[in-house]
This record gives sequence, structure tokens and C-alpha cells, in this order.
Amino acid sequence: MKDQAEMDNSMPTPSKISASGVQVYYGDNHAIKDVNVEIADKTVTAFIGPSGCGKSTFLRCINRMNDTIDVCRVEGDIRIDGEDIYDPKVDPVQLRAKVGMVFQKPNPFPKSIYDNVAYGPKIHGLARDKAELDEIVETALRRGAIWDEVKDRLDAPGTGLSGGQQQRLCIARAVATEPEVLLMDEPCSALDPIATAQVEELIDDLRQRFSVVIVTHSMQQAARVSQRTAFFHLGNLVEMDDTDKIFTNPRDPRTESYISGRIG
Amino acid sequence: MTLITSPLALTLLLAVAAYWLAKRRAISAAKGDVRSLAALPTAYGTNAALSVVIPAFVGFILISLYSGLAPRAEDVAPLSKTWFILVPAVLGFVGAIALSTKDFRARTASERWILALLMGASGVAILTTIGIVFSMLFETFNFFSQYSWTDFFFSTKWSPNFRGDSDLGILPLLWGTLYISFIALLVAVPIGLFSAVYLSEYAGPRMRAFAKPAIEVLAGIPTIVYGLFALVTVGPLLRDYFAQPIGLGDSASSVLTAGLVMGVMLIPFVSSLSDDIINAVPQAMRDGSLGLGATKSETIRQVVVPAALPGIVGAILLAASRAIGETMIVVLGAGAAARLSLNPLEAMTTVTVKIVSQLTGDTDFSAPETLVAFALGLTLFVLTLGLNVLALIIVRRYREQYE
Repeated sequence: MKDQAEMDNSMPTPSKISASGVQVYYGDNHAIKDVNVEIADKTVTAFIGPSGCGKSTFLRCINRMNDTIDVCRVEGDIRIDGEDIYDPKVDPVQLRAKVGMVFQKPNPFPKSIYDNVAYGPKIHGLARDKAELDEIVETALRRGAIWDEVKDRLDAPGTGLSGGQQQRLCIARAVATEPEVLLMDEPCSALDPIATAQVEELIDDLRQRFSVVIVTHSMQQAARVSQRTAFFHLGNLVEMDDTDKIFTNPRDPRTESYISGRIG
Repeated sequence: MTLITSPLALTLLLAVAAYWLAKRRAISAAKGDVRSLAALPTAYGTNAALSVVIPAFVGFILISLYSGLAPRAEDVAPLSKTWFILVPAVLGFVGAIALSTKDFRARTASERWILALLMGASGVAILTTIGIVFSMLFETFNFFSQYSWTDFFFSTKWSPNFRGDSDLGILPLLWGTLYISFIALLVAVPIGLFSAVYLSEYAGPRMRAFAKPAIEVLAGIPTIVYGLFALVTVGPLLRDYFAQPIGLGDSASSVLTAGLVMGVMLIPFVSSLSDDIINAVPQAMRDGSLGLGATKSETIRQVVVPAALPGIVGAILLAASRAIGETMIVVLGAGAAARLSLNPLEAMTTVTVKIVSQLTGDTDFSAPETLVAFALGLTLFVLTLGLNVLALIIVRRYREQYE
């Protein structure tokens, strides 16, 4: 793990998220084994790896979504802007307002499109009046690249949209609370190629404002959207480097066999 | 009795015989090569057995219905009962055996019989409902030919007597019914809903495994036992500590007594149904809300409960129709005095109690004082039917489609 730390030091921007010695247990199952990761601000970082390798589990550690699972136990140190997010003083609820999340399956609430997006700003008191809330919703929907499609039917239920639109609505919903980090857990796995392309384009835009961490099964997607890529295997972080380097010249033989399709 | 049981026994024997014969016949038609048959040999057997049993059963139902409706039981000769069962059975037997050829698709045919059986079973419930409505309708017509319907629906006085000048206004009874049901729901809905939220969202698996059945035990208590509880405990308690000190009356039986106890009875309905519905809200909804930085209670209030709301409303309306139809708790808890009053500590009564009291004792089925029970029953039926239909519409219209 030493050479990895050296590698991370060579990164151009300072780390937004820095994790060291992270262990995750589901009951007796040791799901994440001693993972060290540095994630830079305003970049897209992709987590790749075969199913069950722990990449989603690790993602859920970053906003403490694993707290909602009773048997899950997290050890080690995860810092965002130098602040330990597992410190007892940290309220996971406030942390999640800062670290947004988009899930594998689009999960709009059974509310109107407007209320779906306004939900986060409302509970965090981000808007002083209705006009301000309207503005936040519009900005978020524009950032979610879905404004033009839904601006005439903001009162329609969010569940009535198509799958790709729903996922972009969920991204807009996550963006509306002005997070600093956006976690995406296989955001395109339930979408068709056209919707996938739209979401990927969106991810590239989002990089201007947030640090984006995306878990994906598609190596092409990782190559297209990310600047940094981490390869997980059996709960270990095997290798993390610039995306170009991982896909052209990986250092670890396991990475090479995974990206060339021999393990997975 | 033997005359009815023996044709049934005969039918069963015939069915067993049909099973074996059809199976044999199919195998011999295939000349030993079972694969050349259009269906498995057992399918031929099953089809034949069903072809005997189901027509015989239909015949049995028809003749039973006829002898039930016939003006005099002697009109139906015992022999014709036997014929009604055995003739369809034998016809089915002969037909099924004759059909058991190589190309006969016995599996599809036997599945059609089973489909008919399933449809028949669901038909029984619907037909019974229609039958109930009709039997009530006839008597209600009789009643309204003797008593003015405007007096029945709009008179505020209920004082039946058998001298012939009774006032039979439904309003005091309807008022009592709705008042007591309202109090019952006021108790049952918040408690039931809160306990459902606790059980489904907060309780650990072990707590849940204990608490859910414990609450459901409440649903298994006979209502007469609740009534006793109202009579000996709740009623005197309310009288001694509320009604008398405040000066609102000194009756142990009151609307509040019956309402409170009925509310307790309804808690398991609301909580158990709501709990199931809340559990059906997908975890993805909760994750989405928590992932946005909502607290657990914000998630429950703004996402989980709204998503489950149509089902919860359905559960509440179901509880409401139980409350409207409840009798025993009212008799023992609220008394039998028909009264239009706002005071919840006064004795009142409901439609169901008056139906019972009009039909017990020496009754003369031509007097309006007796026949009024059917009009009351029909009104009640329409009321609860309306509530159930409303519940169905709400549930159907607002049901979220989860994948």
C-alpha cells in the first residue's frame, strides 16, 4: 500500500476525500479490506471491479449510508476536507446533505417532479420563499439536463417519466441540495444506451462543480467519464491511477486481466 | 340423509372408476407408446374424474337451491335429488371415456374444468351478496308500503310500540352509529398508525416478532368480551371520573364508553394492515430520502407515509365499516336509548342494536315495527358498501406502481 500513497501524492489537486485503513464488515463477512483512497476535488473518479468486490459498499461508506444497515460495521478513517466523517460529533444526516447520492435504480418519490427536486432544499431550509425555491428547482433541473423536457409539467408525478428521465430527475434532486461530493452507484445500469449517453454527458458537466465518484460495471463508461479510476477486487483496492494509465498500462496483473476480460 | 349421501358416494366411486378407465383407454389407444398421446395418461384420468365430479356437484347445488326456494319441501321428491346428481355424473363419465382417444388434449380439458371450479368459487361470494340484497329488498318494500319513507329517513324520533302509532325515524340511530364510529376511529387511527410506523420502521426484528402477533391477538377477542370490558370497567370509570365530576350525566353506558372500547378493538385492523402497506414501500424510497440528508422521521413523514397513504386510507375505511356494523360493544357500552344528542357521556344507540331489538322476542312479520329492521339493515348495508367502494376507488386511483 506504500507505493499507492506515493502515487496519490503525485496528484495535481489536493484530496477532497481521503480514506485510510477502511475495513467494512457485514456481520462476519469482511467486505472491504484495508482500503486507502484519495479522491480529488472537481474530478470524476470511477470505481470498477467485478460484482461483489465491495465498490458499492465503499461508496456507501462515504456518505454513511451503511449506517442504515444494522449488521454493517465500518472501521478506519474517512475524511472529507480533513474532517473525520465517522467522528461521533458528526451528524450523518448533515453529512448526507453535503455528500449527495444517486442510486442504481431511479427512485423518484411518488410526488410531483417539482416536489421531488424541492424535497432536499425544503428539509434543509435552503430557500427563504417560494420564488427562491422555484429558482433552486429550475437550476437543479437544468443541471440535471432535464429542464427542457419537464418544464411544462412540473406538477406531473415523477414516477410517470421514462427511466432515463427519472434517473436525470434523481440527479437533479441530488444536485438541488448543493452537495460538495456526488456519489453515483451504477447510475446507468437500468438505462438504455441513449439515456446512458445523456447521463454520461451530464456527469462530465457536473465535474465543474462537484467531486463525482461513480461506481460502474462498464469499463467503457469508466474510460469515457472519469479522470481517475480505482480497481477493486475481492474487497481490496488493487490499483488506483489516472484513467488513461489504468486502461493502457496497468501495473497490477489483476487489473490487466480484468480490463482485458479474463476475470470478472 | 342416506338418500343424499349415497348418490354422493356413488359419484365419488364413479369418479375413481372414470380416472382409471380413461387412463387405461388412453394407454391402450397409444398402443403402449405413451409419447404419441396428446397428453400424459394421468391427464386423461384427471379430466375424466373432474368430468364426473363437477357436473354432479353443479346438479347437487341446483337441486339444493330449488328445494330451498320451493314453497313446500314435499314438492321435491327425494328421488329427483338423486337423479339431479347421478345423471350429470353418468353423462360426464360416458363423455369423458368416449373422448379419451389418442389426439384428445386431455390436459387442456382438465385445466378448463379447474378454471370452471375456480370461477364458480368466486361466483359463490358474489351471488351470496346479491342474494342478501334481494332478500332485504323484498322486506324493505313491504315496510315502505306500510310506513312513509320520508318519516323513516327524516323523522328525528324513534319510539316503536306495537299499538300501531310508532315513530320509526332512522336519524337518531344513524347519529348514534356515526358518533360512536367517529370516536372509535379517533382512537384507533392515530394509535394504529403510530404503532404501524413503529413496527415497520423502528422496531428491531425481535421486537417486531413479539409485538405484531401481540397486537393481532386483539383482533381475535370476541366483541362480546370487549362489551363486557366496556360494561364493567370503562363505563363506570368514565362515569365516576368524568361524567359526574363535570356534570354531564350519570349514566355508565355512554357513547364515549362504546367508542373507546370499539377503538381499541379496531387498533389491530388499522395497525396490521398499515404495517403491511408501509413495509411494501420499497427500500429505494427510503434510501433516496436518507441520501438527500433527510432524517429518519422526515423520511417517514414525507416519503414513506405519503407513498403508503392510499393503502392506509383503505385500511381506515375498512375499520370504519367494521365500526358501523358493530353491535355487541354498543349494546353493553352505549345502551339502547335512541337519542339525538351531542353529549358523548350520554347513552345512545345504533342501527345494529335496534335491528336486534326489533327482531327479538315475539315478532309479527307483517307489522312495520318488525319490518323496519330490514330497512335499517339495508341502509346499513348501503352505507358500508359505499365506504368499501370508496376505499377501493381511493386505493386504486392513488396506488403507486412500484417495480
